[in-house]
Amino acid sequence: MHISEGVLSPAVLGVGAALAAVGTAIGLKKMDYEAIPRVAILSAAFFVATLIHVPVGPVGAHLVLNGLMGLLLGWVAVPAILIALFLQALLFQFGGLTVLGVNTVTMAAPAVICFYAYRGLLRRQGTPAAIGAFACGVTAILLSGLLVAAALITTGQAFIEVAELVLLAHIPIMIIEGIVTLFIFLFLKKVRPEMLEGLYA
Amino acid sequence: MHEKRLFWRRNLTALRVQGIFLILSMVAFVPPVLAHRVLVYAYAEGDTIHTESKFVPDTPVRQGKILVVDQKTDKVLLAGQTDDQGKFSFKFPAEAAAQKLDLKIVVEAAMGHRGEWLLKADSYLTGVNPEEAGAAGPVARSPAAAVAPTSEAPATPTPPVPPAVSVPAVDRKMLEDALNKALERQLAPIKEMLTELTIHRTSLTDIIGGIGYILGIFGLLAYFQSKKRKDS
Repeated sequence: MHISEGVLSPAVLGVGAALAAVGTAIGLKKMDYEAIPRVAILSAAFFVATLIHVPVGPVGAHLVLNGLMGLLLGWVAVPAILIALFLQALLFQFGGLTVLGVNTVTMAAPAVICFYAYRGLLRRQGTPAAIGAFACGVTAILLSGLLVAAALITTGQAFIEVAELVLLAHIPIMIIEGIVTLFIFLFLKKVRPEMLEGLYA
Repeated sequence: MHEKRLFWRRNLTALRVQGIFLILSMVAFVPPVLAHRVLVYAYAEGDTIHTESKFVPDTPVRQGKILVVDQKTDKVLLAGQTDDQGKFSFKFPAEAAAQKLDLKIVVEAAMGHRGEWLLKADSYLTGVNPEEAGAAGPVARSPAAAVAPTSEAPATPTPPVPPAVSVPAVDRKMLEDALNKALERQLAPIKEMLTELTIHRTSLTDIIGGIGYILGIFGLLAYFQSKKRKDS
């Protein structure tokens, strides 16, 4: 999911950086004192998950957990993802500092979108909430794939081709993410319901 | 005593779930096989440059696009595609040899992955005979004549020296050729090893360090917010 440095045009990089800045500002505004430990933990989880490589598909892929982050954080997922990506770029040369904005948008925007899209389902009890959590994990990856493909259009690569490749490579990840999101959601609901109350009261 | 038992009965499931979760997350940690950064490296053998591209740690880049670019002017000298082992070999362009260009080898894999490798002129021109390299030098100075002789010079072995030239010179040249070839063959694995060593692999320590940074950053944030809360 990380787009490397030197692939995208300055225009795309600029737009990405601007969008990421706006998202981060909104996220920071919405982050209250009580949320900070939760954001830190999820940011760390994202940092690790996006490093661990599962050898599937033509390129191999990794968990992203952005659906989970959207589910648990809403807008605050943007700064959480930004910080994790920043450190990855700095420490491991994954992505890169100039692409930081674009990479943040491709991974954080789906988180925010999924948060709003599945809020209704997640507020309910039992099966609908479970379906919502699963779908949240799946959709976030799907949207991320589409956004990566969209960002790459400008490099002259055909959108359909790239999108197909990205999505095919991520089908197993989508399912795994859906299951992971579902289980963590159910687990938190049982053990730490207060963590979800703020968002889904 | 009774209360204690009640506590355990009540919380055992939750604890068990937490335990399983912990173990699962640790299992996820153990093999530090890591996400995809693309690496490309290149080395010369005679007049051929071999490149190998892979996703860290060990997946070859199949059908990736390779561009050979002049490092200074960013002019694309050559383009190609990697095979199923992520390899691509090419004879270096005469132009590059003549002008001693440093080559930047770029691999573009799918989905916006990209890697670069700089191949210095010194390191790929060692295979070329000093005579030939010398021949290319002066010719390059007169641009009009540059094209014809240089284009064949590095690619084809020099034609047999006319009999008028003394025999020892030929012997020396042949000896040097043979030595160059043997050395290249023997040094190839060492070159590859050196390349491997220059790759920074993400280790568990790095990851834990990163997590530390994240917690630290949010700790700072919490600190400032708590101050604000006290002030207001």
